[in-house]
Amino acid sequence: MIEAKSVCLKYSDGTIALRNVDLQVEPGDMVYITGPSGSGKTSLLKLFMGVEYPTSGSLEVLGQPIAKGQASEIRQLRRSIGPVFQEFKLIKGRTALENVMLGMRFLDIPQRRLREDATTALVKVGLEHKILSLVENLSWGEGQRVAIARAVARQPLLILADEPTGNLDKDNALNILELLTSFKNRNTAVIITTHATHLLEGIKEGRLIHVDNGSIHQERLG
Amino acid sequence: MRNILYNTGYFLKEAKAIIKLNLLSNIFSLLSTGLIFFILTMVSSGWWISSQVVETIQGEAEVSVYFKEDIKNNDVMKLIEDIKTIAGVREVRLVDEDEAYSRMVEILGNEAKVLSYLDDNPFNPFIEVKIHLENMESVVKNLSHIKGIEQIRDNREALERLHSIAEVLKILGYLVVAAVAISTLVIISHIIRMGIYDNRDQINTLRLLGAPEMFIAFPFLLEGLMLTIGGGLLAATLSAFSLKYFYAQMAGPLPFIPLPPREALVGRLITLVILLSAIMGVTGSLFGLSSAKND
Ligand SMILES: Nc1ncnc2c1ncn2[C@@H]1O[C@H](COP(=O)(O)OP(=O)(O)OP(=O)(O)O)[C@@H](O)[C@H]1O
Ligand SMILES: [Mg+2]
Repeated sequence: MIEAKSVCLKYSDGTIALRNVDLQVEPGDMVYITGPSGSGKTSLLKLFMGVEYPTSGSLEVLGQPIAKGQASEIRQLRRSIGPVFQEFKLIKGRTALENVMLGMRFLDIPQRRLREDATTALVKVGLEHKILSLVENLSWGEGQRVAIARAVARQPLLILADEPTGNLDKDNALNILELLTSFKNRNTAVIITTHATHLLEGIKEGRLIHVDNGSIHQERLG
Repeated sequence: MRNILYNTGYFLKEAKAIIKLNLLSNIFSLLSTGLIFFILTMVSSGWWISSQVVETIQGEAEVSVYFKEDIKNNDVMKLIEDIKTIAGVREVRLVDEDEAYSRMVEILGNEAKVLSYLDDNPFNPFIEVKIHLENMESVVKNLSHIKGIEQIRDNREALERLHSIAEVLKILGYLVVAAVAISTLVIISHIIRMGIYDNRDQINTLRLLGAPEMFIAFPFLLEGLMLTIGGGLLAATLSAFSLKYFYAQMAGPLPFIPLPPREALVGRLITLVILLSAIMGVTGSLFGLSSAKND
Protein backbone atom coordinates (compact mmCIF):
# COMPACT_ATOMS: atom_id res chain seq x y z
CA MET A 1 0.00 0.00 0.00
CA ILE A 2 2.72 2.40 0.96
CA GLU A 3 6.29 1.81 0.04
CA ALA A 4 8.85 4.38 1.10
CA LYS A 5 12.55 3.90 0.35
CA SER A 6 15.11 6.30 1.86
CA VAL A 7 12.67 9.15 1.64
CA CYS A 8 13.95 12.58 2.59
CA LEU A 9 11.89 15.73 2.73
CA LYS A 10 13.44 19.14 2.78
CA TYR A 11 11.11 22.16 2.68
CA SER A 12 11.94 25.09 0.42
CA ASP A 13 13.16 27.14 3.39
CA GLY A 14 15.80 24.51 4.09
CA THR A 15 14.04 22.75 6.98
CA ILE A 16 14.76 19.05 6.85
CA ALA A 17 11.53 17.42 8.01
CA LEU A 18 12.25 13.76 7.22
CA ARG A 19 15.48 11.81 6.84
CA ASN A 20 15.91 8.43 5.16
CA VAL A 21 12.47 7.07 5.93
CA ASP A 22 12.00 3.41 5.02
CA LEU A 23 8.47 2.21 5.54
CA GLN A 24 6.08 -0.40 4.28
CA VAL A 25 2.35 -0.45 4.96
CA GLU A 26 0.14 -3.34 3.87
CA PRO A 27 -3.63 -3.72 3.60
CA GLY A 28 -5.11 -4.45 7.01
CA ASP A 29 -2.32 -2.59 8.80
CA MET A 30 -2.93 -0.35 11.76
CA VAL A 31 -0.13 2.15 12.17
CA TYR A 32 0.34 4.68 14.95
CA ILE A 33 2.83 7.49 14.45
CA THR A 34 4.06 9.30 17.53
CA GLY A 35 6.72 11.83 18.23
CA PRO A 36 7.18 15.28 19.71
CA SER A 37 5.80 18.40 18.14
CA GLY A 38 7.71 19.36 15.04
CA SER A 39 9.23 15.92 14.63
CA GLY A 40 7.71 15.35 11.15
CA LYS A 41 4.45 13.41 11.67
CA THR A 42 2.28 15.69 9.56
CA SER A 43 5.03 15.92 6.99
CA LEU A 44 4.94 12.16 6.62
CA LEU A 45 1.17 12.19 6.00
CA LYS A 46 1.58 15.07 3.56
CA LEU A 47 3.94 12.89 1.58
CA PHE A 48 1.44 10.03 1.56
CA MET A 49 -1.23 12.37 0.17
CA GLY A 50 1.08 13.81 -2.43
CA VAL A 51 0.92 17.29 -0.91
CA GLU A 52 4.69 17.21 -0.73
CA TYR A 53 7.06 15.18 -2.88
CA PRO A 54 10.15 13.39 -1.56
CA THR A 55 13.25 15.48 -2.02
CA SER A 56 15.13 12.23 -2.48
CA GLY A 57 14.34 8.54 -2.26
CA SER A 58 11.20 6.95 -3.71
CA LEU A 59 7.62 6.73 -2.51
CA GLU A 60 4.64 4.84 -3.85
CA VAL A 61 1.14 5.01 -2.42
CA LEU A 62 -1.42 2.50 -3.71
CA GLY A 63 0.92 1.91 -6.60
CA GLN A 64 1.08 5.57 -7.48
CA PRO A 65 4.54 7.15 -7.44
CA ILE A 66 4.58 10.40 -5.48
CA ALA A 67 6.72 12.51 -7.74
CA LYS A 68 6.70 15.55 -9.96
CA GLY A 69 4.76 15.31 -13.22
CA GLN A 70 2.12 13.07 -11.64
CA ALA A 71 -0.23 15.80 -10.44
CA SER A 72 -3.40 14.51 -12.04
CA GLU A 73 -2.68 10.89 -11.08
CA ILE A 74 -2.02 11.99 -7.52
CA ARG A 75 -5.31 13.90 -7.54
CA GLN A 76 -6.95 10.64 -8.54
CA LEU A 77 -5.07 8.75 -5.83
CA ARG A 78 -6.48 11.07 -3.18
CA ARG A 79 -9.96 9.82 -3.99
CA SER A 80 -8.94 6.51 -2.42
CA ILE A 81 -7.69 8.20 0.73
CA GLY A 82 -9.75 9.29 3.73
CA PRO A 83 -7.84 12.16 5.30
CA VAL A 84 -8.54 13.62 8.73
CA PHE A 85 -6.57 16.85 8.86
CA GLN A 86 -4.97 18.16 12.01
CA GLU A 87 -6.94 21.39 11.56
CA PHE A 88 -10.02 19.52 10.20
CA LYS A 89 -10.46 21.68 7.06
CA LEU A 90 -14.24 21.60 7.28
CA ILE A 91 -16.13 23.96 5.02
CA LYS A 92 -17.75 26.79 6.91
CA GLY A 93 -21.29 27.85 6.25
CA ARG A 94 -22.28 24.23 5.54
CA THR A 95 -23.91 21.69 7.77
CA ALA A 96 -22.15 18.61 9.05
CA LEU A 97 -24.10 16.54 6.55
CA GLU A 98 -23.16 18.79 3.62
CA ASN A 99 -19.51 18.60 4.63
CA VAL A 100 -19.55 14.82 4.68
CA MET A 101 -21.46 14.64 1.40
CA LEU A 102 -19.10 17.08 -0.30
CA GLY A 103 -16.24 14.68 0.29
CA MET A 104 -18.17 12.02 -1.62
CA ARG A 105 -19.66 13.92 -4.55
CA PHE A 106 -16.85 13.27 -7.00
CA LEU A 107 -16.28 9.62 -6.07
CA ASP A 108 -17.88 6.64 -7.73
CA ILE A 109 -20.61 6.49 -5.15
CA PRO A 110 -24.14 6.30 -6.58
CA GLN A 111 -25.85 9.62 -6.15
CA ARG A 112 -28.84 8.23 -4.26
CA ARG A 113 -26.54 6.75 -1.62
CA LEU A 114 -24.73 10.01 -0.81
CA ARG A 115 -27.15 11.22 1.83
CA GLU A 116 -27.66 7.79 3.29
CA ASP A 117 -23.97 6.93 3.61
CA ALA A 118 -23.12 10.39 4.94
CA THR A 119 -25.83 10.11 7.57
CA THR A 120 -24.67 6.64 8.57
CA ALA A 121 -21.11 7.89 9.03
CA LEU A 122 -22.30 10.80 11.19
CA VAL A 123 -24.39 8.47 13.31
CA LYS A 124 -21.38 6.20 13.76
CA VAL A 125 -19.28 9.06 15.16
CA GLY A 126 -22.14 9.90 17.52
CA LEU A 127 -23.36 13.07 15.85
CA GLU A 128 -26.90 12.08 14.89
CA HIS A 129 -28.21 15.12 16.78
CA LYS A 130 -25.87 17.51 14.96
CA ILE A 131 -26.36 16.38 11.39
CA LEU A 132 -27.96 19.62 10.27
CA SER A 133 -25.86 21.94 12.40
CA LEU A 134 -23.48 24.36 10.73
CA VAL A 135 -19.93 23.19 11.36
CA GLU A 136 -18.82 26.53 12.79
CA ASN A 137 -21.34 26.07 15.59
CA LEU A 138 -19.92 22.71 16.63
CA SER A 139 -17.58 22.16 19.55
CA TRP A 140 -13.96 21.26 18.86
CA GLY A 141 -14.50 17.56 19.50
CA GLU A 142 -17.66 17.53 17.41
CA GLY A 143 -15.85 19.19 14.51
CA GLN A 144 -13.19 16.52 14.79
CA ARG A 145 -15.82 13.81 14.55
CA VAL A 146 -17.35 15.44 11.44
CA ALA A 147 -13.87 15.35 9.92
CA ILE A 148 -13.62 11.66 10.75
CA ALA A 149 -17.09 10.98 9.33
CA ARG A 150 -16.10 12.76 6.12
CA ALA A 151 -12.99 10.60 5.82
CA VAL A 152 -14.66 7.25 6.42
CA ALA A 153 -17.84 7.93 4.43
CA ARG A 154 -15.63 8.00 1.36
CA GLN A 155 -14.95 4.29 1.88
CA PRO A 156 -11.23 4.84 1.38
CA LEU A 157 -8.53 2.22 1.07
CA LEU A 158 -6.26 4.29 3.27
CA ILE A 159 -7.26 6.41 6.25
CA LEU A 160 -4.74 9.07 7.22
CA ALA A 161 -5.73 10.69 10.51
CA ASP A 162 -3.53 13.52 11.78
CA GLU A 163 -3.86 14.03 15.55
CA PRO A 164 -7.49 12.92 15.70
CA THR A 165 -7.23 12.72 19.48
CA GLY A 166 -5.61 16.08 20.03
CA ASN A 167 -7.20 18.19 22.75
CA LEU A 168 -9.53 15.38 23.81
CA ASP A 169 -9.70 13.87 27.30
CA LYS A 170 -8.48 10.33 27.63
CA ASP A 171 -11.87 8.61 27.39
CA ASN A 172 -12.92 10.51 24.31
CA ALA A 173 -9.51 10.05 22.74
CA LEU A 174 -9.70 6.31 23.22
CA ASN A 175 -13.19 6.29 21.76
CA ILE A 176 -11.91 8.04 18.67
CA LEU A 177 -9.02 5.59 18.29
CA GLU A 178 -11.43 2.71 18.67
CA LEU A 179 -13.77 4.25 16.13
CA LEU A 180 -10.99 4.69 13.56
CA THR A 181 -9.74 1.18 14.19
CA SER A 182 -13.23 -0.16 13.51
CA PHE A 183 -13.06 1.12 9.96
CA LYS A 184 -10.03 -1.00 9.25
CA ASN A 185 -10.63 -4.23 7.38
CA ARG A 186 -8.49 -6.58 5.40
CA ASN A 187 -8.43 -4.26 2.37
CA THR A 188 -7.83 -1.01 4.17
CA ALA A 189 -5.06 0.44 6.26
CA VAL A 190 -5.35 3.09 8.95
CA ILE A 191 -2.54 5.46 9.89
CA ILE A 192 -2.99 7.68 12.93
CA THR A 193 -0.58 10.26 14.30
CA THR A 194 -0.61 11.34 17.92
CA HIS A 195 1.90 12.76 20.32
CA ALA A 196 -0.02 11.33 23.27
CA THR A 197 1.97 8.12 23.74
CA HIS A 198 0.15 7.31 26.97
CA LEU A 199 -2.98 6.65 24.90
CA LEU A 200 -1.31 3.73 23.21
CA GLU A 201 -0.44 1.89 26.41
CA GLY A 202 -3.47 -0.39 26.40
CA ILE A 203 -3.41 -1.03 22.66
CA LYS A 204 -2.52 -4.58 21.70
CA GLU A 205 -2.63 -4.51 17.95
CA GLY A 206 -0.78 -2.63 15.30
CA ARG A 207 2.54 -0.97 14.70
CA LEU A 208 4.07 2.01 16.36
CA ILE A 209 6.31 4.36 14.46
CA HIS A 210 8.24 6.82 16.49
CA VAL A 211 9.39 9.93 14.68
CA ASP A 212 12.20 11.94 16.14
CA ASN A 213 13.62 14.92 14.37
CA GLY A 214 12.70 13.43 11.01
CA SER A 215 13.99 9.91 11.57
CA ILE A 216 11.73 6.95 12.31
CA HIS A 217 12.01 3.90 14.57
CA GLN A 218 9.44 1.15 14.34
CA GLU A 219 8.17 -1.29 16.94
CA ARG A 220 5.30 -3.71 17.21
CA LEU A 221 2.58 -3.08 19.76
CA GLY A 222 1.24 -5.63 22.23
CA MET B 1 -19.01 14.10 -16.76
CA ARG B 2 -21.65 11.96 -15.09
CA ASN B 3 -20.63 13.48 -11.79
CA ILE B 4 -21.14 16.94 -13.24
CA LEU B 5 -24.69 16.09 -14.24
CA TYR B 6 -25.46 14.45 -10.91
CA ASN B 7 -24.20 17.43 -9.01
CA THR B 8 -26.10 20.13 -10.90
CA GLY B 9 -28.07 21.04 -7.79
CA TYR B 10 -24.90 21.32 -5.76
CA PHE B 11 -23.18 23.44 -8.40
CA LEU B 12 -26.08 25.86 -8.61
CA LYS B 13 -26.09 26.19 -4.84
CA GLU B 14 -22.33 26.77 -4.85
CA ALA B 15 -22.60 29.38 -7.60
CA LYS B 16 -25.28 31.14 -5.58
CA ALA B 17 -23.07 31.07 -2.49
CA ILE B 18 -20.11 32.46 -4.46
CA ILE B 19 -22.26 35.28 -5.84
CA LYS B 20 -23.70 36.06 -2.43
CA LEU B 21 -20.22 36.35 -0.95
CA ASN B 22 -19.51 39.38 -3.15
CA LEU B 23 -23.04 40.36 -3.97
CA LEU B 24 -22.40 44.00 -4.78
CA SER B 25 -19.44 43.32 -7.06
CA ASN B 26 -21.46 40.67 -8.83
CA ILE B 27 -24.39 43.01 -9.35
CA PHE B 28 -22.10 45.70 -10.74
CA SER B 29 -20.45 43.18 -13.03
CA LEU B 30 -23.84 42.15 -14.33
CA LEU B 31 -24.87 45.76 -14.88
CA SER B 32 -21.67 46.74 -16.61
CA THR B 33 -21.66 43.70 -18.91
CA GLY B 34 -25.31 44.52 -19.60
CA LEU B 35 -24.47 48.08 -20.58
CA ILE B 36 -21.49 46.98 -22.63
CA PHE B 37 -23.64 44.48 -24.49
CA PHE B 38 -26.23 47.20 -24.95
CA ILE B 39 -23.69 49.42 -26.71
CA LEU B 40 -22.85 46.44 -28.88
CA THR B 41 -26.48 45.86 -29.81
CA MET B 42 -26.93 49.52 -30.67
CA VAL B 43 -23.87 49.65 -32.91
CA SER B 44 -24.71 46.40 -34.60
CA SER B 45 -28.28 47.46 -35.24
CA GLY B 46 -26.91 50.68 -36.73
CA TRP B 47 -24.70 48.49 -38.86
CA TRP B 48 -27.52 46.21 -39.96
CA ILE B 49 -29.89 49.07 -40.64
CA SER B 50 -27.36 51.01 -42.68
CA SER B 51 -26.27 48.04 -44.72
CA GLN B 52 -29.89 47.17 -45.36
CA VAL B 53 -30.60 50.75 -46.41
CA VAL B 54 -27.58 50.79 -48.69
CA GLU B 55 -28.63 47.53 -50.23
CA THR B 56 -32.17 48.72 -50.86
CA ILE B 57 -31.07 52.04 -52.23
CA GLN B 58 -28.45 50.45 -54.40
CA GLY B 59 -31.25 48.53 -56.03
CA GLU B 60 -32.84 51.87 -56.64
CA ALA B 61 -30.02 53.52 -58.50
CA GLU B 62 -31.68 55.96 -60.78
CA VAL B 63 -31.14 58.93 -63.01
CA SER B 64 -33.60 61.75 -63.47
CA VAL B 65 -33.61 63.19 -66.96
CA TYR B 66 -35.02 66.68 -67.42
CA PHE B 67 -35.94 67.76 -70.92
CA LYS B 68 -36.52 71.13 -72.53
CA GLU B 69 -39.90 72.55 -71.55
CA ASP B 70 -40.99 73.33 -75.08
CA ILE B 71 -40.60 69.78 -76.27
CA LYS B 72 -43.65 68.05 -77.73
CA ASN B 73 -45.28 65.03 -76.19
CA ASN B 74 -44.37 62.86 -79.12
CA ASP B 75 -40.75 63.83 -78.78
CA VAL B 76 -40.83 62.92 -75.13
CA MET B 77 -42.11 59.46 -76.06
CA LYS B 78 -39.35 59.14 -78.61
CA LEU B 79 -36.83 60.23 -76.02
CA ILE B 80 -38.06 57.52 -73.70
CA GLU B 81 -37.72 54.90 -76.42
CA ASP B 82 -34.17 56.11 -77.12
CA ILE B 83 -33.23 55.88 -73.49
CA LYS B 84 -34.63 52.37 -73.26
CA THR B 85 -32.06 51.21 -75.80
CA ILE B 86 -29.11 52.22 -73.64
CA ALA B 87 -27.32 49.26 -72.09
CA GLY B 88 -27.81 49.00 -68.30
CA VAL B 89 -31.19 50.69 -68.25
CA ARG B 90 -33.83 48.67 -66.43
CA GLU B 91 -36.90 50.81 -66.58
CA VAL B 92 -37.87 54.16 -68.03
CA ARG B 93 -40.93 56.08 -66.95
CA LEU B 94 -42.32 59.57 -67.34
CA VAL B 95 -43.03 61.38 -64.09
CA ASP B 96 -45.43 64.25 -64.87
CA GLU B 97 -45.80 67.47 -62.90
CA ASP B 98 -48.59 66.15 -60.74
CA GLU B 99 -46.69 63.06 -59.70
CA ALA B 100 -43.57 65.07 -58.98
CA TYR B 101 -45.70 67.31 -56.78
CA SER B 102 -47.33 64.50 -54.86
CA ARG B 103 -43.96 62.81 -54.35
CA MET B 104 -42.66 65.95 -52.73
CA VAL B 105 -45.77 66.11 -50.54
CA GLU B 106 -45.02 62.63 -49.37
CA ILE B 107 -41.39 63.37 -48.63
CA LEU B 108 -42.17 66.55 -46.75
CA GLY B 109 -44.88 64.91 -44.69
CA ASN B 110 -46.12 67.40 -42.13
CA GLU B 111 -44.10 70.17 -43.70
CA ALA B 112 -45.97 69.76 -46.99
CA LYS B 113 -48.17 72.72 -46.22
CA VAL B 114 -45.42 75.07 -47.42
CA LEU B 115 -46.25 73.88 -50.92
CA SER B 116 -49.76 75.24 -50.60
CA TYR B 117 -48.33 78.77 -50.37
CA LEU B 118 -47.19 78.47 -53.94
CA ASP B 119 -49.57 79.48 -56.73
CA ASP B 120 -48.26 77.18 -59.39
CA ASN B 121 -46.89 73.68 -59.28
CA PRO B 122 -43.15 74.43 -59.16
CA PHE B 123 -42.12 71.00 -60.33
CA ASN B 124 -41.19 69.96 -63.82
CA PRO B 125 -42.00 66.65 -65.41
CA PHE B 126 -38.99 64.38 -65.87
CA ILE B 127 -38.05 60.95 -67.08
CA GLU B 128 -37.14 58.51 -64.35
CA VAL B 129 -34.53 56.05 -65.52
CA LYS B 130 -33.93 53.05 -63.25
CA ILE B 131 -30.58 51.48 -63.92
CA HIS B 132 -28.10 49.00 -62.56
CA LEU B 133 -25.73 50.81 -60.25
CA GLU B 134 -22.59 49.49 -61.90
CA ASN B 135 -23.73 51.01 -65.23
CA MET B 136 -24.29 54.45 -63.77
CA GLU B 137 -21.29 55.97 -65.49
CA SER B 138 -21.88 54.67 -68.98
CA VAL B 139 -25.60 55.37 -68.83
CA VAL B 140 -25.00 58.97 -67.82
CA LYS B 141 -22.45 59.33 -70.60
CA ASN B 142 -24.82 57.88 -73.21
CA LEU B 143 -27.66 60.06 -72.02
CA SER B 144 -25.60 63.15 -72.48
CA HIS B 145 -25.33 62.38 -76.20
CA ILE B 146 -29.10 62.34 -76.70
CA LYS B 147 -30.64 65.50 -78.09
CA GLY B 148 -33.44 67.30 -76.26
CA ILE B 149 -32.09 66.57 -72.79
CA GLU B 150 -31.54 69.62 -70.69
CA GLN B 151 -30.22 68.20 -67.43
CA ILE B 152 -29.27 64.85 -65.96
CA ARG B 153 -29.43 64.31 -62.23
CA ASP B 154 -28.19 61.15 -60.65
CA ASN B 155 -28.13 60.01 -57.00
CA ARG B 156 -24.62 58.62 -57.26
CA GLU B 157 -23.24 61.04 -54.72
CA ALA B 158 -25.89 60.19 -52.15
CA LEU B 159 -25.29 56.49 -52.68
CA GLU B 160 -21.57 56.86 -52.26
CA ARG B 161 -22.04 58.84 -49.08
CA LEU B 162 -24.35 56.20 -47.68
CA HIS B 163 -21.89 53.56 -48.65
CA SER B 164 -19.07 55.24 -46.77
CA ILE B 165 -21.31 55.72 -43.72
CA ALA B 166 -22.01 52.00 -43.80
CA GLU B 167 -18.26 51.34 -44.05
CA VAL B 168 -17.54 53.56 -41.07
CA LEU B 169 -20.24 51.81 -39.08
CA LYS B 170 -18.74 48.48 -40.03
CA ILE B 171 -15.30 49.47 -38.76
CA LEU B 172 -16.89 50.94 -35.66
CA GLY B 173 -18.74 47.67 -35.26
CA TYR B 174 -15.50 45.69 -35.30
CA LEU B 175 -13.95 48.05 -32.77
CA VAL B 176 -16.96 47.76 -30.51
CA VAL B 177 -16.95 43.97 -30.77
CA ALA B 178 -13.28 43.98 -29.75
CA ALA B 179 -13.97 46.39 -26.89
CA VAL B 180 -16.91 44.32 -25.70
CA ALA B 181 -14.89 41.13 -25.84
CA ILE B 182 -11.95 42.59 -23.95
CA SER B 183 -13.94 44.38 -21.29
CA THR B 184 -16.30 41.49 -20.53
CA LEU B 185 -13.31 39.21 -20.41
CA VAL B 186 -11.62 41.50 -17.89
CA ILE B 187 -14.76 42.01 -15.80
CA ILE B 188 -15.73 38.36 -15.67
CA SER B 189 -12.27 36.95 -15.14
CA HIS B 190 -11.68 39.51 -12.41
CA ILE B 191 -14.82 38.64 -10.49
CA ILE B 192 -14.10 34.93 -10.90
CA ARG B 193 -10.62 35.44 -9.50
CA MET B 194 -12.14 37.29 -6.60
CA GLY B 195 -14.52 34.41 -5.92
CA ILE B 196 -11.66 31.93 -6.14
CA TYR B 197 -9.61 34.00 -3.73
CA ASP B 198 -12.43 34.19 -1.22
CA ASN B 199 -13.00 30.45 -1.50
CA ARG B 200 -9.34 29.45 -1.52
CA ASP B 201 -9.59 27.39 1.67
CA GLN B 202 -12.52 25.41 0.36
CA ILE B 203 -10.83 24.92 -3.01
CA ASN B 204 -7.66 23.75 -1.32
CA THR B 205 -9.62 21.27 0.79
CA LEU B 206 -11.43 19.93 -2.25
CA ARG B 207 -8.09 19.43 -3.97
CA LEU B 208 -6.77 17.55 -0.95
CA LEU B 209 -9.85 15.35 -1.06
CA GLY B 210 -9.10 14.56 -4.70
CA ALA B 211 -11.86 16.55 -6.38
CA PRO B 212 -11.25 16.87 -10.13
CA GLU B 213 -10.38 20.39 -11.23
CA MET B 214 -13.53 20.47 -13.36
CA PHE B 215 -15.65 19.76 -10.30
CA ILE B 216 -14.02 22.66 -8.48
CA ALA B 217 -14.25 25.00 -11.45
CA PHE B 218 -17.84 24.33 -12.44
CA PRO B 219 -19.56 26.61 -9.92
CA PHE B 220 -17.31 29.47 -11.04
CA LEU B 221 -18.12 28.75 -14.65
CA LEU B 222 -21.79 28.92 -13.73
CA GLU B 223 -21.21 32.20 -11.91
CA GLY B 224 -19.60 33.69 -15.02
CA LEU B 225 -22.40 32.39 -17.21
CA MET B 226 -25.09 33.75 -14.92
CA LEU B 227 -23.45 37.18 -14.93
CA THR B 228 -22.99 37.47 -18.68
CA ILE B 229 -26.32 35.94 -19.60
CA GLY B 230 -27.99 38.20 -17.05
CA GLY B 231 -26.16 41.13 -18.62
CA GLY B 232 -27.14 39.86 -22.06
CA LEU B 233 -30.82 39.71 -21.13
CA LEU B 234 -30.58 43.22 -19.71
CA ALA B 235 -28.99 44.44 -22.94
CA ALA B 236 -31.60 42.62 -25.04
CA THR B 237 -34.45 44.24 -23.11
CA LEU B 238 -32.88 47.68 -23.29
CA SER B 239 -32.22 47.39 -26.99
CA ALA B 240 -35.71 46.09 -27.77
CA PHE B 241 -37.15 49.19 -26.11
CA SER B 242 -34.64 51.51 -27.74
CA LEU B 243 -35.35 50.14 -31.19
CA LYS B 244 -39.07 50.49 -30.63
CA TYR B 245 -38.51 54.14 -29.76
CA PHE B 246 -36.12 54.65 -32.65
CA TYR B 247 -38.54 53.14 -35.17
CA ALA B 248 -41.38 55.26 -33.83
CA GLN B 249 -39.17 58.35 -34.25
CA MET B 250 -38.14 57.41 -37.78
CA ALA B 251 -41.61 56.51 -39.00
CA GLY B 252 -42.89 60.10 -38.84
CA PRO B 253 -40.40 62.45 -40.45
CA LEU B 254 -38.33 60.01 -42.53
CA PRO B 255 -40.73 57.52 -44.06
CA PHE B 256 -38.66 57.06 -47.21
CA ILE B 257 -35.76 55.37 -45.37
CA PRO B 258 -36.32 51.66 -45.94
CA LEU B 259 -35.74 50.25 -42.42
CA PRO B 260 -35.64 46.47 -42.00
CA PRO B 261 -38.62 45.00 -40.13
CA ARG B 262 -38.21 45.67 -36.43
CA GLU B 263 -39.19 42.22 -35.17
CA ALA B 264 -36.58 40.56 -37.36
CA LEU B 265 -33.93 43.02 -36.18
CA VAL B 266 -34.79 42.55 -32.50
CA GLY B 267 -34.82 38.77 -32.93
CA ARG B 268 -31.40 38.89 -34.51
CA LEU B 269 -30.05 41.14 -31.79
CA ILE B 270 -31.33 38.89 -29.01
CA THR B 271 -29.79 35.83 -30.65
CA LEU B 272 -26.51 37.67 -31.07
CA VAL B 273 -26.36 39.03 -27.56
CA ILE B 274 -27.34 35.77 -25.81
CA LEU B 275 -24.92 33.74 -27.90
CA LEU B 276 -22.15 36.22 -27.34
CA SER B 277 -22.83 36.50 -23.62
CA ALA B 278 -22.72 32.72 -23.25
CA ILE B 279 -19.40 32.58 -25.10
CA MET B 280 -17.97 35.49 -23.15
CA GLY B 281 -19.20 34.02 -19.87
CA VAL B 282 -17.44 30.73 -20.48
CA THR B 283 -14.28 32.34 -21.87
CA GLY B 284 -14.08 34.92 -19.10
CA SER B 285 -14.56 32.28 -16.41
CA LEU B 286 -11.95 29.98 -17.92
CA PHE B 287 -9.61 32.94 -18.17
CA GLY B 288 -10.21 33.82 -14.52
CA LEU B 289 -9.83 30.22 -13.45
CA SER B 290 -6.59 29.67 -15.30
CA SER B 291 -5.08 32.94 -14.12
CA ALA B 292 -6.01 32.14 -10.53
CA LYS B 293 -4.37 28.74 -10.78
CA ASN B 294 -0.99 30.30 -11.34
CA ASP B 295 -1.10 32.12 -8.00
N1 LIG C 1 5.57 24.09 4.70
C1 LIG C 1 6.63 24.06 5.51
N2 LIG C 1 7.71 24.81 5.21
C2 LIG C 1 8.79 24.79 6.03
N3 LIG C 1 8.89 24.06 7.11
C3 LIG C 1 7.84 23.29 7.45
C4 LIG C 1 6.67 23.25 6.67
N4 LIG C 1 5.79 22.41 7.25
C5 LIG C 1 6.41 21.93 8.35
N5 LIG C 1 7.64 22.46 8.47
C6 LIG C 1 8.62 22.14 9.50
O1 LIG C 1 8.89 20.75 9.41
C7 LIG C 1 9.05 20.19 10.68
C8 LIG C 1 8.06 19.04 10.88
O2 LIG C 1 6.75 19.59 10.88
P1 LIG C 1 5.47 18.70 11.02
O3 LIG C 1 4.30 19.56 10.78
O4 LIG C 1 5.62 17.50 10.18
O5 LIG C 1 5.56 18.32 12.57
P2 LIG C 1 4.55 17.43 13.42
O6 LIG C 1 5.32 16.26 13.89
O7 LIG C 1 3.31 17.19 12.67
O8 LIG C 1 4.29 18.41 14.64
P3 LIG C 1 2.94 18.56 15.51
O9 LIG C 1 2.92 17.43 16.47
O10 LIG C 1 3.16 19.86 16.23
O11 LIG C 1 1.80 18.57 14.59
C9 LIG C 1 8.85 21.32 11.68
O12 LIG C 1 10.11 21.80 12.04
C10 LIG C 1 8.10 22.35 10.89
O13 LIG C 1 8.41 23.64 11.35
MG1 LIG D 1 1.35 17.73 12.86
